[in-house]
Amino acid sequence: MTSIDVQDLTKEFGGRRAVDHLTFRVLPGRVTGFLGPNGAGKSTTMRLVLGLDRPTAGSATLGGRPYATLREPLRHVGALLDAQAAHGSRTARDHLRVLAASNRIPDRRVDEVLEETGLASVARRRVRTYSLGMRQRLGIAAALLGDPEVVMLDEPSNGLDPEGIVWIRRVLRRLAAEGRTVLVSSHLMNETASFADHLVVLGRGRLLADTPMRDFIHARVRPRVRIRTTDPVALKCALARHGHDVVEHEDGHWTVHHARVDDIGRVTSGAGVPVLELAAEEGTLEQAYFDLTGTESEFTAPSQEA
Amino acid sequence: MHHTAVLRSEWLKIRTLRSLPGALLALFAATTAFSAIAGVSGTSDPGFDPLFTALSGVIPGQIAAVAFGAMAVSSEFHQGALRLSLAAVPQRGRWFAAKAAAIAVPALVVGLVTALAALLVARAGLGTAADRLSTGEQVRGVVGCGVYLMLMALFAAGLAALLRSGVATLSLMVPFILVVSFVIGDATGTVADFLPDKAGQLVLHETYDGTLGPWSGLAVTALWTAGALLVGAWRLRRRDA
Repeated sequence: MTSIDVQDLTKEFGGRRAVDHLTFRVLPGRVTGFLGPNGAGKSTTMRLVLGLDRPTAGSATLGGRPYATLREPLRHVGALLDAQAAHGSRTARDHLRVLAASNRIPDRRVDEVLEETGLASVARRRVRTYSLGMRQRLGIAAALLGDPEVVMLDEPSNGLDPEGIVWIRRVLRRLAAEGRTVLVSSHLMNETASFADHLVVLGRGRLLADTPMRDFIHARVRPRVRIRTTDPVALKCALARHGHDVVEHEDGHWTVHHARVDDIGRVTSGAGVPVLELAAEEGTLEQAYFDLTGTESEFTAPSQEA
Repeated sequence: MHHTAVLRSEWLKIRTLRSLPGALLALFAATTAFSAIAGVSGTSDPGFDPLFTALSGVIPGQIAAVAFGAMAVSSEFHQGALRLSLAAVPQRGRWFAAKAAAIAVPALVVGLVTALAALLVARAGLGTAADRLSTGEQVRGVVGCGVYLMLMALFAAGLAALLRSGVATLSLMVPFILVVSFVIGDATGTVADFLPDKAGQLVLHETYDGTLGPWSGLAVTALWTAGALLVGAWRLRRRDA
């Protein structure tokens, strides 16, 4: 059992459709970023995969089996849904021991994941005393407890300090490199761009994109070139002659839209324009995301009314 | 999924939440304390029932048993705790059965120890007034009391699963127990005899009249408890977690 298969999944809450005929596959060996605005259906989809909510229609399976049919499911699937789920009056270690016991996971493994998530020194403190970042680490520790082939994390970087964010990025990359199936939801674009290989994008419960991250960005964001010169007039003339449009910025640099750095470099050196700086501006995931949601205006959040 | 593993996990949950062993300790302390007081202030009026006087600490003490059952379940309805529990054990019926067993066993054991202790301290106060009690009556009182406390804890557990809240369960059950005991409690031969706490309390009395006896009374309480647990389980299975 390896992949997560979502097939025509639909979930309605009292007439409101939170997940709408969703079909996608999350494959092993890579980190799949699960994107969409708040309320797009990411968390609902995860709950449906875990059998916690009943689908209105369709199915979600893990390697072809519904979650509820798994024996000792924590050994197959690890999930972080809500970092606040741990009872404040329990110690972190007891919280994990309780989960481990239900799936016959030895206490030795509890100490391992506490070590791995950097909580070993505070493991015997009550969860109530934990910061949001520490609770998040505890939630990740719980997800890793059964050494699962499938890892599903809902907003894992929430509340993590900068060090924690770098740490979770490394953890996700490692899990994928080990051949596990990793699905990570987020609404932070730059954060997702730093760890995801593949993207599944939702808007109002519907699938907007299911593509490799690079392709997603390249298909939606045209390349741009950043250039700085001592002779703006010569630059403008040279570029205009080749049909390029330049925009000047206040700090004195120029942007050439829809252009590749190789072409612009040739044009400027051919025209003898003195160049101080020449750089390709990579499209960001954020730009690509807003391009997508902008064209599908019905999927963006309704504007706030005053 | 192994039953024993789920049971072990649920038992560990109860042990590692300080308030739950605390509630059982309160059950023991309150019951024996009130029974001790009843023992020294025991009267010799015509309706005097030495067995019930000795075990009367259970009437206030049972609130701790109810709190134990309600809190053991309601801790699951805090934030996303239930989702975590059901992700670990997706078979909801099995999970709830393990939860109920993990509540029942400690409640029964503590209930039996408490009843025995209450009887002994109250008898020390009652002196000769309690001498007419037979061994059989006393064994029946202690065992019945332990079973009664377990059933009340489970009744609260079922109700907490239905209402998905410990506060709602306690604010329903505690006034109910107090009202039934102090307002319509003395009226026998009415429908009040069949109320969950009233019926089960017959087992604490030396003498009884009315339609129910000590064991049939306890059976009525058991039916109420089974009903509460079934309704709680039904809600748990049906609803999205």
